[in-house]
Amino acid sequence: MSTKRRFLPACLALIAGAALLLTGCQKSEYPRRTDETNTLYVGVVQSSFPTAFMPWLSREGIAPTIAGLLYSTLFTYDDDTGRFLPNLARQWCYVDAQGRPIVTDSGSVDYERLEEHGVRTLRNPQTGQIERYLTVRIELDPRARWSDGQPVTADDVYYTLDIARNHYLSNHAGALAWTADLLHLYSNSGQLQLQGIFTYNHGAVEQGYPIGDTERDRVIYLHVRSVLGAVTSLFTSVLILPRHLWEPVVSRENQLNSRNPDARLQHLYQNPVGSGPYVLDPAASGPSQLVLRRNELYHLTRDDGSPLYTVETIRLILYQELNVAIYAVMQGHIDMLSAAVSPNYIHLFEDRDDLFLSVAEGTFTQTLVFNVNPVAGERTPTRNLLANRGLRQAIALAIDSEMLVRVVANGAATRVSAGLIRETLTDFYNPNADIFKGDYAARLERANQLLDQILPEKDQHGYRLLNGERVSFGVLGHPSEIELIAFLEAQLQKIGIEIRYQAKGSSPETTYLWTSRFDMTIQGVIFSLANVDIMLNAHFVALGRTSNYGRLIHPVLAKGIEEMRSTLNLHRKYQLLYELQPVIAEVFYKVPLYSPQVISIARTDRYTGYEVVPGATVFNSTNLQQIRRVDSVGGAASSEPAGESLSQRIGGEAM
Amino acid sequence: MSKEGVLLLVAQRGGSLLSFVGKLWQHPQGRLGLILAGCLVLVAILSPILAPYDPYDVTQRAAKGLRPSWQHLLGTTTTTGQDIFSMLIYGSRVSLPIGIGTGVAIAFLGAVMGVMAGYLGGFVDNLIMRVVDILLVIPTLPLIIVLTSLFGRSYFVIVLVFVIFGWPGLARVIRSLVLVLKNTNYVKAAELAGASRWYIMTKHILPGTSHLIIMNTALTSAGIMVAEAGLSFLGLGDPTAISWGKMLAEAQGGGALLFGAWWWIIAPGIGIFLSVFSFMRIGIAMEEIFNPRMKASSSIYKLFKHLNNTYLDEVFRSMEEEESVVREPPDRSDAPTPEGCHG
Amino acid sequence: MKRSYLIKRILYAVFIFFVVLTLNFFIPRIGVHDPAERYYPPQGGMSDIEYEIIKQFTREQYGFDVSTFQQYVRYLRGLLRFDLGTSLRPGSPKVTALIGQRLPWTLVLSVSTLVISLVTGLLFGTMAAWKRGRWQDTLLLNASTISVALPSFFIALMLSFYLGFRLELFPAYTNPNMVAQFHWSWDAIRMVFTNAALPIMSMSLGGIISYSQTTRNSVIAVTNEDYVVTARAKGLSQATVLYKHVLRNALLPLATRIGMNIGGLIGGAIIIEQVFNWPGMGTLFLEASSTKDYPLMMGIMLFLSAFAILANLVTELLYVILDPRVTVGEKR
Repeated sequence: MSTKRRFLPACLALIAGAALLLTGCQKSEYPRRTDETNTLYVGVVQSSFPTAFMPWLSREGIAPTIAGLLYSTLFTYDDDTGRFLPNLARQWCYVDAQGRPIVTDSGSVDYERLEEHGVRTLRNPQTGQIERYLTVRIELDPRARWSDGQPVTADDVYYTLDIARNHYLSNHAGALAWTADLLHLYSNSGQLQLQGIFTYNHGAVEQGYPIGDTERDRVIYLHVRSVLGAVTSLFTSVLILPRHLWEPVVSRENQLNSRNPDARLQHLYQNPVGSGPYVLDPAASGPSQLVLRRNELYHLTRDDGSPLYTVETIRLILYQELNVAIYAVMQGHIDMLSAAVSPNYIHLFEDRDDLFLSVAEGTFTQTLVFNVNPVAGERTPTRNLLANRGLRQAIALAIDSEMLVRVVANGAATRVSAGLIRETLTDFYNPNADIFKGDYAARLERANQLLDQILPEKDQHGYRLLNGERVSFGVLGHPSEIELIAFLEAQLQKIGIEIRYQAKGSSPETTYLWTSRFDMTIQGVIFSLANVDIMLNAHFVALGRTSNYGRLIHPVLAKGIEEMRSTLNLHRKYQLLYELQPVIAEVFYKVPLYSPQVISIARTDRYTGYEVVPGATVFNSTNLQQIRRVDSVGGAASSEPAGESLSQRIGGEAM
Repeated sequence: MSKEGVLLLVAQRGGSLLSFVGKLWQHPQGRLGLILAGCLVLVAILSPILAPYDPYDVTQRAAKGLRPSWQHLLGTTTTTGQDIFSMLIYGSRVSLPIGIGTGVAIAFLGAVMGVMAGYLGGFVDNLIMRVVDILLVIPTLPLIIVLTSLFGRSYFVIVLVFVIFGWPGLARVIRSLVLVLKNTNYVKAAELAGASRWYIMTKHILPGTSHLIIMNTALTSAGIMVAEAGLSFLGLGDPTAISWGKMLAEAQGGGALLFGAWWWIIAPGIGIFLSVFSFMRIGIAMEEIFNPRMKASSSIYKLFKHLNNTYLDEVFRSMEEEESVVREPPDRSDAPTPEGCHG
Repeated sequence: MKRSYLIKRILYAVFIFFVVLTLNFFIPRIGVHDPAERYYPPQGGMSDIEYEIIKQFTREQYGFDVSTFQQYVRYLRGLLRFDLGTSLRPGSPKVTALIGQRLPWTLVLSVSTLVISLVTGLLFGTMAAWKRGRWQDTLLLNASTISVALPSFFIALMLSFYLGFRLELFPAYTNPNMVAQFHWSWDAIRMVFTNAALPIMSMSLGGIISYSQTTRNSVIAVTNEDYVVTARAKGLSQATVLYKHVLRNALLPLATRIGMNIGGLIGGAIIIEQVFNWPGMGTLFLEASSTKDYPLMMGIMLFLSAFAILANLVTELLYVILDPRVTVGEKR
């Protein structure tokens, strides 16, 4: 017994000792705490990092952000002023048939003469229709380089736009690059049917477009549909690819967006060569960490020649759960989170002075969408009610945005006008469209009055009846919207309408709403100056696989939107946008609920100089261009905004 | 006493449900289990009366993230401002019916299949046992995850998978018992008298297995409740329902750990613990009633063996009076319960 | 006779595997008339015609353009090459490669849990058996009663909260650098075990109880056997009796128990891995399900089933080989 008695505790002690030794029983070393270099640790919350870095492979998660850092577009868009800032290209203009710029004396676009001199027609070989088009001339910045040292040339732009239109070779990768208004068409079998991109090496001269000898590598002419928004997506959303690397590798068997890439394509995916401000370091990167290093060959710099982006290295650290990432920031394992946090967390951060809390105005609006015009097979008696404008108006009146802002979003949201353009866009916001402002009680009364004429009968709980049965609508939503829908339920109860949460299904039919299998749904919409043309059309006019889930067919609205899209007079366009808002409001098709603010956090013990950027988290290019290491603040904590004025000084014409 | 004799004796002790309850009451641990289970069932039925707030009603929400106070005994959630104490009470309305319902369904299916396989023998037996082998090998938790991703998240899918993958265990055990029972004189006499096979199966054999079935139901229900908590924790259940597992998931996702709201995590844990504990006690007490010789070993050991379906073999072995044992190789056990008997 | 039994068991296992893999093949095809829509869900902004074209490309790439039977044959052929398919993730990594990356991390947890719960279980079980009826035994009894009713993920949450957040003894969540900066050095290995400490603790509790009970009861059972009583009577010391006779024979049921649990060793860690964000197969599976990555999901399912079948087979065969008292009969 004595041997045993001594043996057992000894054994346990040994195990415990071994465990302690192995684990260290201390806080682990986290590299950030001792990292003295100019490295920003950014936490990313998603299930996994991308392993391929072709910019058109994915729209999910952090992939587009990374693509935007590794590659460049021709121009960037200034959301407040609606102007294009130089990036790979430094100037552009519309030209006439002989290639002469259509500009005013000060050098900006002459919208008055555009219609007369710029618009021509051609015949679309695929549809047989006559189309009106404009010609655009773009001049690249001669200093632009790829990260392997090669210059960015017009042929790179040609290659990129060309392959975006050629589904045969790109496997529809181009769907993620919005080139729909570029009149450069391929057949499904890869035959070029209509050329719309011209460079020196690709028929510009034959077409009659002048290109000087010194600018052979820099000038591109494009044929775009004659709508003002055509150039927006081409200039600001298409990331240019290096032709010299991709062209030899991409083929029919080895498509650009291939699910079965061969070794060479795989190599290109994993070792991206772009022209953006940062370069991927594949050796240091792995499944849970991506390392981006500043591209010293990046052509945009400050006046004194120092790099535009002040952060030298970005380490993206993967977290699969938001709380884990927040914990990491609070513990100091990372500098900032690229993800937005729910307003419920705000009072966790309020009292801490080592954290910068960014509460930025949001750019997307949650709306309640009605299925106003279901396809023939999906018409139910309840849905037929939704075709009644008065009923929709009543429901819209009964929604109390202020309460939703207070209770669902903890105050971290703003209400939005029924015209769906945010109040902060002061030049464009139309107060006449903001009809759900003010006295909620009065609105409720009006709503009840309206409904009393449509559905006068009620059951014993106060819910309205249709042919003796309670009227009940299903609201298709995501589990995170259950709270929101529950509050809407309570609000609509006051006018006697019942709604209930319906889970989005897992099959495409029940997830993608263009099959009309829903009564109402919650949809987030983003309307900004850059995308009004496309968005208004997609949301209110176009049928099919678009955002017009309820299949609204409203001739007046459609006509107005079409006119707004197609007018070539910018001032007229904005005027129409102003006038369209009340029409949108009075259709009561997409009723705004609220616009959540974007809340994110960053630590201030290593970096300082953070700014709140509307619509963005703390991980945005403005911050990357201006934050400094705390110990190195001596030099320029520059007071000028890094964006617009700097690039203007670089010598590009803004517009 | 021969093996058969012992079994028959045991089988004959089976009786009406009421007599089960009566015997349970007399057993000290069984009484504890009955009381606890009874309380939980009462809580589930009387939730609207017992809970101070209705967690499903949005007009009764309070400020988010409140600490425990007299108005809110367990505080409120950080995500929605619901009263946690009320959620705890209403949570029983999901866990208990699913556990008991699935247990009963498994008992029914398992009994039917087991009796058919054991008594009818031959092709039917082979077929059913092959199906049992296949079903026992497929891991249930991943399968549920796959099916919910295909068909949407609902308790229906979960219960369906539990039932489909739960009956094989019981069926095997019942079958072993039936194989013995069918050779008794009692049954042979009935056969000679010309009774139809269905008659014999339902009137003679099935009642003989009743104690086993009821015991199994109690223990399986306990296991299912734990498994359901695990699945709700992963978010695979109905997102609008309040269940204890889902409360734990919400607590974790809503940053309970970050906010220091430990009560939010402990409360549903206790709920799960009590429900599982009470049903386990009932099951183990029942088995002690029917097999007094098994009282010697600890109850937990019995539970584990039961869950691994080696139990019945051990029952036989414990009643053996000969020393040399012809031991069968252990049957392939079922995959561990989805929440994982890790080890 | 033994050998033919062994061969029969192996063939039977192969048969079961075949059925399982057929089921695995058909499950994602349930209720879908166009699998291409599952693999390339429609994106907004695409016209109907464009989407049809994409679907045709997708069908060709994933092989849906041939009949189901031919797809099945290709699937089988792929399996022979250990090719479980291609994941839908951008970059199209192979399922086998992904599993290979994550499996070692799950094994770290599973094997450590197994070892710790075994050793501890053995110790506690022997102690409880030796001191049957005393406080050690009752303690074990009460501890086990409580631990079974508490789900392991709940224990995980509590541990993560108290030991992780509050006391900061161990990291509450796995540090992603553990994988990213792993190399074969003491520091990196220490980091792995520091992060693994809490998950292992959560998982091993149940195992400790289970193994200690098994040990306790086999030890008690064996201790009453004739040869042990004889040994004691001969005057051999307790320790000798314990090691030479009791433990060796008591280990057999324990071995069986281990064998039965191994089948679920990998799949059973899914929830715990999720709680701690441990980068193993469990979280890989959950990632696949949230992104509806069917090839990856089904590949992992097949892997887990195959592993379970293999584990069961090995246990059975070992049992037959090891236990001299077993005569192999046909009855089950």
